[in-house]
Amino acid sequence: MQPPTDTQINEVIRGFPRNNASLLIPILQTIQEKFGYIPPESLTAIGKHTNVSRNKIYGVLTFYAQFTTIPRGKYIVRPCRGTACHVRGAKNVLTRIRQKLGIEDGQTSPDYKFSLETVACMGACALAPTVVVGNDYYGKMTPDEIGDIIDTYKHKE
Amino acid sequence: MQTITSREELIRLRESVISKIDTSKPTITLCGGTGCSAFGSQKVYDAFEAEIKRLRLEDKVTLKRTGCHGFCERGPILVILPQEIFYQKVKPSDVPDIIRKTIIKNEVVRQLLYVDPRTGERIVKESEVPFYKHQMRLVFRHNGKIDPISFDDYIRYDGFQALLKILYEMTPPQVVDEIKKSGVRGRGGAGFPTGLKWEFARKSPETKRYVICNGDEGDPGAFMDRSVMEGDPFAVIEGLMIAGYAIGAKKGYIYVRAEYPLAVKNLTIAIETLKKMSLLGKNILGREFDFDVIIKQGAGAFVCGEETALIASIEGKRGMPKPRPPFPAESGLWGKPTVINNVETLANLPLIIIKGAEWYASIGTKDSKGTKIFALAGKINNTGLVEVPIGTSLRKIIEDIGGGIPKGRTFKAVQMGGPSGGCVPAEYLDLPVDYESLKSVGAIMGSGGMIVMDNTTCMVDIARYFLDFCQKESCGKCVPCRIGTKRMLEIATRFTKGEAQAGDIEKLKALAESVRDSSLCGLGQTAPNPVLSTLRYFSNEYEAHLAERYCPSSACEVLVKSPCQNACPAHINVPQYNELVRQKEYLRAVNLIRRSVPLPSSLGRVCFRPCESVCRRGEIDTSIAINHIKRYITENSKSEIRNPKSQLFPFNAPEIFNPRKKDKKVAIIGAGPAGLSAAYFLRIMGREVTVFEKNKSAGGLLANGIPAYRLPKKVVQDEINLLKAMGIAIKANSPISARKQWDVLRNQFDAIFIAVGATKSKTLGVPGENIKGVVDALQFLDNMINGRIKKVPQKVTVIGGGNSAIDSARSALRLGAKEVTVIYRRSLDEMPAHKEEIQDAMQEGVKFRFLAAPAQVTCNKGSNWLRCQEMTLGPADKSGRRKPVPKAGSDFTVEAGLVITAISQTPDLEFAQPDIELTPWGGIKVNPLTMETSQKGVFAGGDTITNAGMVIYAIATGQKAAVAIDRYLGGAGKLPENIDPLLTYSTDLKGPHDPLKDDRQAIQHIPLKKRAGNFKEVICGYSDSAAYNEASRCLRCDLENKEYGK
Repeated sequence: MQPPTDTQINEVIRGFPRNNASLLIPILQTIQEKFGYIPPESLTAIGKHTNVSRNKIYGVLTFYAQFTTIPRGKYIVRPCRGTACHVRGAKNVLTRIRQKLGIEDGQTSPDYKFSLETVACMGACALAPTVVVGNDYYGKMTPDEIGDIIDTYKHKE
Repeated sequence: MQTITSREELIRLRESVISKIDTSKPTITLCGGTGCSAFGSQKVYDAFEAEIKRLRLEDKVTLKRTGCHGFCERGPILVILPQEIFYQKVKPSDVPDIIRKTIIKNEVVRQLLYVDPRTGERIVKESEVPFYKHQMRLVFRHNGKIDPISFDDYIRYDGFQALLKILYEMTPPQVVDEIKKSGVRGRGGAGFPTGLKWEFARKSPETKRYVICNGDEGDPGAFMDRSVMEGDPFAVIEGLMIAGYAIGAKKGYIYVRAEYPLAVKNLTIAIETLKKMSLLGKNILGREFDFDVIIKQGAGAFVCGEETALIASIEGKRGMPKPRPPFPAESGLWGKPTVINNVETLANLPLIIIKGAEWYASIGTKDSKGTKIFALAGKINNTGLVEVPIGTSLRKIIEDIGGGIPKGRTFKAVQMGGPSGGCVPAEYLDLPVDYESLKSVGAIMGSGGMIVMDNTTCMVDIARYFLDFCQKESCGKCVPCRIGTKRMLEIATRFTKGEAQAGDIEKLKALAESVRDSSLCGLGQTAPNPVLSTLRYFSNEYEAHLAERYCPSSACEVLVKSPCQNACPAHINVPQYNELVRQKEYLRAVNLIRRSVPLPSSLGRVCFRPCESVCRRGEIDTSIAINHIKRYITENSKSEIRNPKSQLFPFNAPEIFNPRKKDKKVAIIGAGPAGLSAAYFLRIMGREVTVFEKNKSAGGLLANGIPAYRLPKKVVQDEINLLKAMGIAIKANSPISARKQWDVLRNQFDAIFIAVGATKSKTLGVPGENIKGVVDALQFLDNMINGRIKKVPQKVTVIGGGNSAIDSARSALRLGAKEVTVIYRRSLDEMPAHKEEIQDAMQEGVKFRFLAAPAQVTCNKGSNWLRCQEMTLGPADKSGRRKPVPKAGSDFTVEAGLVITAISQTPDLEFAQPDIELTPWGGIKVNPLTMETSQKGVFAGGDTITNAGMVIYAIATGQKAAVAIDRYLGGAGKLPENIDPLLTYSTDLKGPHDPLKDDRQAIQHIPLKKRAGNFKEVICGYSDSAAYNEASRCLRCDLENKEYGK
């Protein structure tokens, strides 16, 4: 896993107008979307561009659940821990995912294939329990079904 | 794309759109919402496209992908217009059929129709489906009809008519007035009047103002805003423009959470479209109104739903709230006056402007106008989005629209308003859902999340869940919220792990109150609500977790070995007896059961089976037939059961049971299930036990109240003989009815257990009930079982809805009655008798008259006549059951040679008065942990304490009392299970095992013809292979917990 170069990061940042602090979050979102995480080295460049101090950027970065400063896996597995999912047995589904992937919430597998990130509520309560893998929604999950689904992703490139 | 710069151009465009519509051409509207997409609606769409192309039908049919239809449970959903044909759970393979039959031949594909589970009827039209029938879809008027990103589709109905109207006919203050008059209140949760909020912003001297659409729908369990933004983005934008015009803002923001990518996509497309058409920008529609819309994506922080935190987030800062005042309407985004409205509020606005405030104000209640969308989820049949007028009752939403609770489980509560809200228990099911009513019971409207919970949802766990959520989402700015929620979570977690300490309930409550009163923003102030409301309505669950380390809902996994064992009041180890059946080790299986109960064979026939209702297998198909397997085990170890010298527990376990030990004397009054159970366990613990029974034969209702076609007397007798062989003295024909006898017992015995049951019948309370030919059910059954009744009149009427009513009715038929009618004052759903019993009774020819109650009995022309009144169901009582209310002028009369009254009974406790304290109902008041009464050394159980009428429950009270009595007498009070839990069985799974192979094994009944005129046992029991297959279906939840190291 190669971290993005300064040039790559600067390219992204230059797409936004300068000195506008309110663009900080969209800039972080774009970097994260492009590289899968926010390299801590990029804070200086973002700070110069937005005129926001690095410690403030770090404060914002760590406040929001969406952002991470560690590289993430190719497939983000996001089991919902919303109320509807909870009462319909999301806990057992999560347990199976943890066993299957061998990682805990917030961690990434050593081969950078999977990251596990629970979500407060996906807003897909009618499908409870819900799991999103990458951009695909899976509804009415059971431990066995999610196990099979993860296997198919394991075999995917 | 043309630009629209005047009223005329918009009107012309709309007319041209409408003129191009070919009404004869069918339109397939396929749901593309999140729910249906997850069930594969994209593949269905692709299949339609391919099929239409293949058959060259492009000119004959329109295919449209719409927003959410709301009935996500049944996805993928499609509706064919104009006929409004509703197809559900559509697969790509169904597509050719739909095209060939419905589109070309105008025929309905029957197997894709929705089947009403109550009537079994297939329903064609969308609006006739019960889920939709009771709704009023105003905000959702376009969802499911239009392509969300098509401008033409939006204006085809009423799109931008409201904008036209305000720009050309109304001044901004007039718009504010109109919204004020409509009475619409903020749909985000707090319910603040929208017009008033606008007025505050208008009053500000600042001329630079902002409007923000709050689409940060963070409450777990709410997804209506998502659906509106995804399915009708133009309406949200139009609403935002109306708000902008009204308060004088030139810029609007839509703050959408990052978890909603489709909403972001559709809103972005809609904004781009409007910009290109000059409907956003300067001088919109040729008027002096400039407006731009900017989308801001949230970054995953629940607190950003709070308005000051949301503003901070838009400004690019950490989303931390600020103290209010100043309110955003005075000083908001970048210090300027800012109005923040919720998505659903904004989507209401165009409709209010078009149809007028008066029309809008006619919907809803006095103080809460309009409709509200609720997200119905959790333990309910029809999950999805439901829009109803505010003030609709919870019962209507949950039962009529939601279709009730699945798997035959019972409703416990509904959580309203997510982590800021509270739960509403069954007794308030008739509550009108509006802002004020919900507040009065400790819940809130909130954003409209409605999570339904059944008897398998643990309320302590739910409180813990929400605390966990709030603790994680607390922004950390203020101490009460940051630390308070953490400490509360720690206490709640202790409960769910069985580690709670005395005083924890009080500590939790005190902490909750101070967090509520001292937190900075709404998140902290409302975070304690779930705790406070579960403490208010379900304190008994907290107490069970604390005092007994027991989770009554079988949900807290640390406390629960397996749901079935946990739900069994006597805690029989079900998964392991299933395994022993697979190993064909029937003697070991029956020994295992006998560690927990003394009467397995009788139970195997009459148990109420609380275990089966929580069985996890039921989530997949049908629960395990736990009780039929139990009966099979006892049948296959029959010779052992009959032989007291056999290797039967406790005779085979000298380390547990020493027949020679008889230390301290215990008297037990009543040889029913509770008394026999206490006797059994006390005897195992080495006590000298004497049971006083008023009847000739022991067994209580098992022997003298349940007819032989359900429970042959021989079965009970064999089991009682075993108890006698253990050295339990049972004195028949020895009623304890006088105070003098009681005093003697008190003197002669070291402890007493009262289990006299509830045999004193309550009276009907109607004139004429004392005339001949009116008898009490228990009396009737007792006489019948003991051979004192040989014949009954031709017409028999039974009054009541419990098991003894059904037993009386079926017995009367067997005794030769030609017509037996059961009259019950509520409906079938409320009937407390076992559902299978009712079904069998119906098959055998018993007639039922529901919603009727007797008013008078008269004797005339040699027969009895029963005048009855029809009933309707009124509001719920404390148990959540609806109270019957007589209908005026609905009297009717039935002839009844014999009237059997099977209403409730109370215990006859004259003999122990006034020593023993009673409950208002007339039972003995006991400490629920020990069964001890107000008198030291006197304990009570079974129907004597509550009229539950459940054998297994009575046995469990006997078990509990035995422990307490033994301790009272100086013993350790150890049940066999706690002495050596692994003595007789192994937990290993043997042989090949595929639990999912079969569905539940059917049970045989003797044919109807062979039941008349005799009392032969009706249910035949499992064959060897059926029992083996059924036991193999067990998912072995007990091993799962072991496997996960819990």
